[in-house]
Amino acid sequence: MTDPVALPARVLVVDDDTALAEMIGIVLRTEGIEPSFCADGSRALGIFREVGPDLVLLDLMLPGMDGIQVCELIRAESGTPIIMLTAKSETADVVRGLESGADDYIVKPFNPKELVARIRARLRPYSGDAGTLKVGDLVVDSAGHEVRRGGERISLTPLEFDLLLALASKPSQVFTREMLLEQVWGYHYKADTRLVNVHVQRLRAKVEEDPENPRIVMTVRGVGYRAGAPA
Amino acid sequence: MTIPPSSAGLSRIPLGIRVSALARLPRTIWAGIVGAFRRSLEVRIVAITVALSAIALLATGTYMSYTIGNGLFQARVDQVTEESGRATDAAQSLFDSTTAADDSALSVLQLQVLSQVKGIATSSAGVALQRAPGSDVGPLTLIDVSQGGTADLITDQLQAETSSGPDDQYFQSVSIPATGSPHPGLIVGSTVTVPGAGEYELYLLYDLADVQQSLTFVQNTMLIGGLALILLIAGVTWIVVQSVIAPIRVAAETSRKLAAGQLEVRIPERGEDVIATLARSFNGMADSLQRQIVQLAGLSRVQQRFVSDVSHELRTPLTTIRLAGDVLYDNRSDFDPTSARTAELLHTQVERFESLLSDLLEISRYDAQAADIEVAPVNLVHLAQEAITTVETLADRKGSVLQLVAPGGHFEAEMDARRIRRIVRNLLGNAIEHGEGKPIIVTIDSNATAVALAVRDHGIGMSRADAERVFDRFWRADPSRQRTTGGTGLGLAISLEDASLHGGWLNVWSAEGRGSCFRLTLPRSAGVPIESSPLALPPDDAPHRVEDAR
Repeated sequence: MTDPVALPARVLVVDDDTALAEMIGIVLRTEGIEPSFCADGSRALGIFREVGPDLVLLDLMLPGMDGIQVCELIRAESGTPIIMLTAKSETADVVRGLESGADDYIVKPFNPKELVARIRARLRPYSGDAGTLKVGDLVVDSAGHEVRRGGERISLTPLEFDLLLALASKPSQVFTREMLLEQVWGYHYKADTRLVNVHVQRLRAKVEEDPENPRIVMTVRGVGYRAGAPA
Repeated sequence: MTIPPSSAGLSRIPLGIRVSALARLPRTIWAGIVGAFRRSLEVRIVAITVALSAIALLATGTYMSYTIGNGLFQARVDQVTEESGRATDAAQSLFDSTTAADDSALSVLQLQVLSQVKGIATSSAGVALQRAPGSDVGPLTLIDVSQGGTADLITDQLQAETSSGPDDQYFQSVSIPATGSPHPGLIVGSTVTVPGAGEYELYLLYDLADVQQSLTFVQNTMLIGGLALILLIAGVTWIVVQSVIAPIRVAAETSRKLAAGQLEVRIPERGEDVIATLARSFNGMADSLQRQIVQLAGLSRVQQRFVSDVSHELRTPLTTIRLAGDVLYDNRSDFDPTSARTAELLHTQVERFESLLSDLLEISRYDAQAADIEVAPVNLVHLAQEAITTVETLADRKGSVLQLVAPGGHFEAEMDARRIRRIVRNLLGNAIEHGEGKPIIVTIDSNATAVALAVRDHGIGMSRADAERVFDRFWRADPSRQRTTGGTGLGLAISLEDASLHGGWLNVWSAEGRGSCFRLTLPRSAGVPIESSPLALPPDDAPHRVEDAR
């Protein structure tokens, strides 16, 4: 990931509404972020490969190919943070978007501060350098952004890595969904706890040997989650 | 010939329902029977049919039993009187032909007479020969003889009639003592003249046990036949009622399914009778109902689709406007005063437009019944505290002090936190706006079924008529009233929908010059109806005029 201080961060805006895309571009440039644009879902993956952005802003409704499919394609080859732009806050749409691999979502209409805060939160590398941690039979290398089981490297998106690291850095603590939203997503107010639920499921699918019977990310009924004890 | 009224042993009633026995059944069984009678048409019809047939059979049976009994008795009486008449004649002729001159010879004759009598009256059970009281005493005397206990059964009345009556024979019913129950019997009395000894009375005793036995047999046969007939009637009625009721039952079951939402169910149509007509009309009704529901569901889908489309189509340009307005607003210090003020106005009005749009979408979601509730355990006191914190700046600006009083409600109840938070914020916002800087008290309490929150301000209040319209969409108490918080006019309408979605209540009390009190009551557990609200409305500190709306 590019350090936003050294080089301008690059954000790919995938939206068919050119006025909105341009306006987002204006807002991002004033914040020192370099935007690039794509107005067609079917061309999004090609432009993504070409540009290699640090983050993708993805509209859910697109001509050519809808945002969910684009999200799945990008996620299949990259862990680049994806923030969905959606006009719908109804459960089904949001959950579908998150399950397809988006890290976060913003409901239209949003204001510039909200947009920038969400982008910054996803571009910010995890601040704590906790060295090497053990969760269950996993080894989490916070400096190298790597998770290993035995000799095998497990590929996680930056968000999933942050989520695991947050839990692993305080193994004795039970994290509520609200705490995780603040620490991992950077929300400082009440936000959608479905974000946490969906991403815990995605993380478990990657790190657990049996996702039905988790040993790495444990559920604490009625409270939240905590890291499993080191094996 | 006199037939005395007291015909012993012939007056039994063959059939009868011992109703009192039913009353002695244990209560539960009795209640069960009453319940079945009330619930089941078949049971009722069969019971009524059986009861009426039983009454008819009882009357017929009683009449038949009486007639047969009488006939049997009369036949026996005729036989008995004829037999004893012959016996008396034989005895008289034997006595008449006597030449006995002393008592001992007469005794021998007496024995002959008695044996003769018994020979003639073969069916008699006993015989007695005794001197008639008051007859002339002759030179000779006969000893009174009684066989088979006959003399003990002769009544004074019979004796008086026999000795002094004009007829040859008299008879009377008697009860013959026997092991077990006494047998019905008949005594026939007649007089014989014994030459030289005077008037004697000859009594012959007949046992009618055989007649009684025949009668009992007939009665038993009738009883068994009657019971069998009643059972048969009950069975036939049951079958007939079933055949009529079965289609009705199918219709009832089908309407129940239809009401439960299985719109495709129909009643099979068979034949041309009234049941088939019922089935056809019912199916016609179901068809039309299904058509309308499908049509309405289609409309509802169109409506929801429209809401969704508006949501997307309107929100995208609004986002652009919002971003543009905010960029201008952030740079307003670089503008000349006119442009700067324009940027400010644009900024605030876009915000207002945005909240109006989101409220409109929310209300259309309710209208399309597309609103879904996501319940989670929520502590209403904590929620209220948070909501108070978010509006404190606004309250400070207006000079109102917010105070939370929570004697109860310190537990987690199942509710949709987002919606409840929206209600509480809305009530607080209204209270601050109309509170005229006076204290605002938020009270939370609970009881067995509900938890309630009341927001009480001491501001300008509303008239009764206004309070009744306060939940109407886009309604404002006073159109000329200055607005500072820029509400959309949909806030309370949405709050009311939110409360109803939880199965809760939202009530208002208000009085001009005395302030208002909005009370939200929510069920303690989802799905359990509220019995009463833990908080009083009008509030305890309010004057006694009740202005309760909704």
